[in-house]
Amino acid sequence: MEIFFQQLVNSLSVASVTILIGMGITLIFGLAGIVNFAHGEFLMVGGMATWFLVSAGINFFIAVLGAMILVGFLGFVAERGLFRFTLERPMNGFIMSIGLSVILQHVVIRLFNEVQKTIPDPIGQVWVVHGVDIIVMRAIVIAITAIVVAITYFCISRSRYGLALTASIADPDTAALMGIPVRRYVTGVFIYGSVLAGLGGALMIALFPITPFTGSVVIIRGFAVSLIGGLGNVGGAVVGGLLLGLVDGLSAGYGFPEWTDAYSLVLMIAILIVRPQGLLGGTLGPKAS
Amino acid sequence: MSLLQVQNLSTAYGPIMVNREVSLIVNDQEIVTILGPNGAGKSTLLRSISGLLRPKKGAIRFNDRNVTGAPADRMASMGVVMVPEGRHIFPDLTVQQNLRLGAYCRTDHNAIEQDIALMESYFNVLAAKKHAKGSALSGGQQQMLAIARGLMARPRILLLDEPSLGLSPILVKEVQSVIADLRSKFSAAVLLVEQNAGLALSVAERGYFLQHGRIVGSGTISELKDHALIHEIYLGQHSRPKSVRPSAT
Repeated sequence: MEIFFQQLVNSLSVASVTILIGMGITLIFGLAGIVNFAHGEFLMVGGMATWFLVSAGINFFIAVLGAMILVGFLGFVAERGLFRFTLERPMNGFIMSIGLSVILQHVVIRLFNEVQKTIPDPIGQVWVVHGVDIIVMRAIVIAITAIVVAITYFCISRSRYGLALTASIADPDTAALMGIPVRRYVTGVFIYGSVLAGLGGALMIALFPITPFTGSVVIIRGFAVSLIGGLGNVGGAVVGGLLLGLVDGLSAGYGFPEWTDAYSLVLMIAILIVRPQGLLGGTLGPKAS
Repeated sequence: MSLLQVQNLSTAYGPIMVNREVSLIVNDQEIVTILGPNGAGKSTLLRSISGLLRPKKGAIRFNDRNVTGAPADRMASMGVVMVPEGRHIFPDLTVQQNLRLGAYCRTDHNAIEQDIALMESYFNVLAAKKHAKGSALSGGQQQMLAIARGLMARPRILLLDEPSLGLSPILVKEVQSVIADLRSKFSAAVLLVEQNAGLALSVAERGYFLQHGRIVGSGTISELKDHALIHEIYLGQHSRPKSVRPSAT
């Protein structure tokens, strides 16, 4: 039982990173209609920035903020400089984003190298609760994710900005007729999703080593999470992320660890066949045109 | 001085010219209609005034400012608000949320709440259905909501695109009385595009004829009723139902 709880906390912390990347993808893909395959690299850049700052002697939590700002800015540049021009042709944007992901990998290799990077555990403490060892950093990752999820959910479902965003997605022209600056909302969502990727990367490197190629693994899981939950649905990304994270973590502990990735992807395929709109339902994503 | 001035406006969809050298004015709190057959370019004209379409040539002046090429959200925030053809209610949002979105540009929260109450008292059906989703309303109810949503912006001028389209004769009458009231109740000018000439001629003070994308005639309503074009444009079409004939007024 103790081992089960340890596995659970570990799984939840892994799920947290997956939720953060899935939430970013679900917002950008489901709401702004942009398929950004470089989103995984955004996460990797966030992790690398955190590693760089922490190695330079900066406090981990300040480094996290730095990574979020840097990746947010990266998102702003990518949206204004690239994806703005492919909004009408999502397929072009998709291909472009694959190019962007390779470029980002190589920029990071150029700047640093291809060797995996780690940082020492920023907290370095373990709580023992009823005989269960809980690594404090993992609990913090879970808590930060929970807070970010709550804020995001609240903003989308309760604020006037969330309402305007929902309207912009449902019918951009009519939203513009209400005075809503639809383009600015698309940029805003893209930046917000990127900031979440930066946060995800920063938290990830607190748990695992990161290489310049981490993004390409993460992106698949991110899309899996957002599709399982329902595109554009923040709650869906949370459910999808928890599901994948738990399946991963528990299968690594109890099943065949070498099959970990296969379990979650088989799960995704099965869910998408049975419920194409995702578990909680979402927008239909970018319209095929 | 006129509120809205359109000068030699030409608009195209790709290579196809839709409006050519269109000029018109709307004065403050005036109700003006644009009449013309299907495909004359009436909706395109409204879309280019509202900022959804960028004109190729010409100028739009609003309140004596050059606003040519301003995007729709800026036009709306200045007070030029269009109620689009086909209502375009947000189907998954509630009636109240739709109304609230109409006031997106405004920051006077108390006045917005008052206006929501005002709309609900003026359009009774909106009060009864305030928590219903937009998709749950009938066509006529959606039209009322669309107009109310447009009014929530407190526009200086409301551009109405085919508000009677697809409505039963009784509901057309209701739309007619709402439009006739807009000036006294909401002190807004109206630029009305309408296939239903009977409705348009009964509420408007002046009008323009649009044919093949050009203005081919204009005048006060009594002048328009005697205009040869009105017979050519409307009475020549046998397919139109009785209630929409101009003689109905």
